[in-house]
Amino acid sequence: MDNVIEGIALCVERGKISKQSPFPPDMKDQDGADEIAADAIKQGVKPDDLLDGCILGMNRIGEKFSQNKVFVPELLMAAKAMTAVMNHLQPFLESGEVKHKGKFVIGTVSGDLHDIGKNLASMTIKGHGFDVIDLGVDVPVDKFMQTIADNPGCFVGLSALLTTTMGNMEKSVKAIKEKYPDTKVLIGGAPVNQNFCDKIGADFYAADPQGATEYLKQNV
Amino acid sequence: MPIDGLKIIGESINDSVPSTHQLYNENKMYDIVALAKFQDERGAAYIDVNIGSRPASFMADLVRRIQQVTTKPLSIDTPDMEIAAAGLEAYDMTHSGGQKPILNSISLSRLEMFDLYKQQPFIPILLITEGLDKNKYSIMNSTAQETYSTAKDFVRVAFELIPEFSNDQCILDPGIMPIGGDMEGYFKRLMDSLQLIHDDPDLQGVNMSVGLSNFTVMLPSKRADGSPVKGPLESAFLTLAIPLGLNMVIGTVKRKYQLLDDDHPALQCLKDILQLNGIEVITRVMQFYS
Repeated sequence: MDNVIEGIALCVERGKISKQSPFPPDMKDQDGADEIAADAIKQGVKPDDLLDGCILGMNRIGEKFSQNKVFVPELLMAAKAMTAVMNHLQPFLESGEVKHKGKFVIGTVSGDLHDIGKNLASMTIKGHGFDVIDLGVDVPVDKFMQTIADNPGCFVGLSALLTTTMGNMEKSVKAIKEKYPDTKVLIGGAPVNQNFCDKIGADFYAADPQGATEYLKQNV
Repeated sequence: MPIDGLKIIGESINDSVPSTHQLYNENKMYDIVALAKFQDERGAAYIDVNIGSRPASFMADLVRRIQQVTTKPLSIDTPDMEIAAAGLEAYDMTHSGGQKPILNSISLSRLEMFDLYKQQPFIPILLITEGLDKNKYSIMNSTAQETYSTAKDFVRVAFELIPEFSNDQCILDPGIMPIGGDMEGYFKRLMDSLQLIHDDPDLQGVNMSVGLSNFTVMLPSKRADGSPVKGPLESAFLTLAIPLGLNMVIGTVKRKYQLLDDDHPALQCLKDILQLNGIEVITRVMQFYS
């Protein structure tokens, strides 16, 4: 079992999605996250162990990212490898055999098409066992409000990359907090910071996906 | 050597640049003004001024201070009407040899910004990344054709709102996304947008600009062999985009932008990416810098 966890963790950390995936070159023709997860399920390995492998791998790559040892492309590859594992876990998540740690709604605010930061946060948080509802980019505040109404107790993450859309982030946070004051709202993106977070009344400024994940784990 | 005909709008005085943000917070106005002088001396055609969400009076004060040290025209960078008005009002055209400032930026959902033209004529950056739906609500464009249609609509509107308007008195910004995470084909869409605008006789003479640093954000600074990553990729982009009419960038004067030879690895990388999709784009970018 430890081998399975470590195998998945390594594939996630290195971004080895599947056997046919050419990346990383030094793992060419080796089984990837997809094959290892499929074999593990067949052999009766507990789904929770696969999730542990994802978390371990994402923690490792996240730490490297925080230290500027890897960059967004590597993180995206890791997230893709993790998604390959999560695809095998989906039936167990749907049946309840594997429990989600919480629910997280995320989207890029209205007027902003940037999706990298949002995608990274979405995939990283999913890999830590949260049920993630990704609303995509250019999300109007009404859509956030409806999703919160449909998912009581969820956390909400707002992303923006443009100074021109920070105002829309502020409007979204204020609207959410006015109607759902107990909903925890996280914000992230290049132009935002702790001061802006405080100013607009959001609950947490996430400088990176790892920060968002830690906040969720501590507050779930 | 600078690329002939390419104008750089110096990007350093921007609240989203961490070092400048710190200068703002510490109220180090002398150092902020020095950034303007530095960019002027390094060849910037315009000096961008973005103060984030600070008071409008701060923008007015900063514009006056910067114009004391440079004769280059400024680019007043804010989506906020009040801040824009303060910056334009403070702008003194006699300090810039009669050159108009840029107003960065106006979208179809913020046409009221054109009202400021009466107060101080400017060259608008027209954001063509978003159009309007049938109910006149802002909607992000998702195809090159939509971006091109917005460009056509926007230029027509500008002709209606500004009596002495001409194509060369505006700058179209079709938006540029980071190549390091481009699994959605944004780069291809941008190049197609430039081509469509370039080929339209009604849009001849318009200026086109992108925020070039955004293209390589979140990538490492060096390749495995120690050579730079960002400068060559940005130059490769310019090599492909300038023939399609791109003639301005919001960028850094520290980069030595150049047109690359066809066999340059960075240019090869971008040409390959134009033929790739999804995760293949990411692996091709990684192959370039690994």
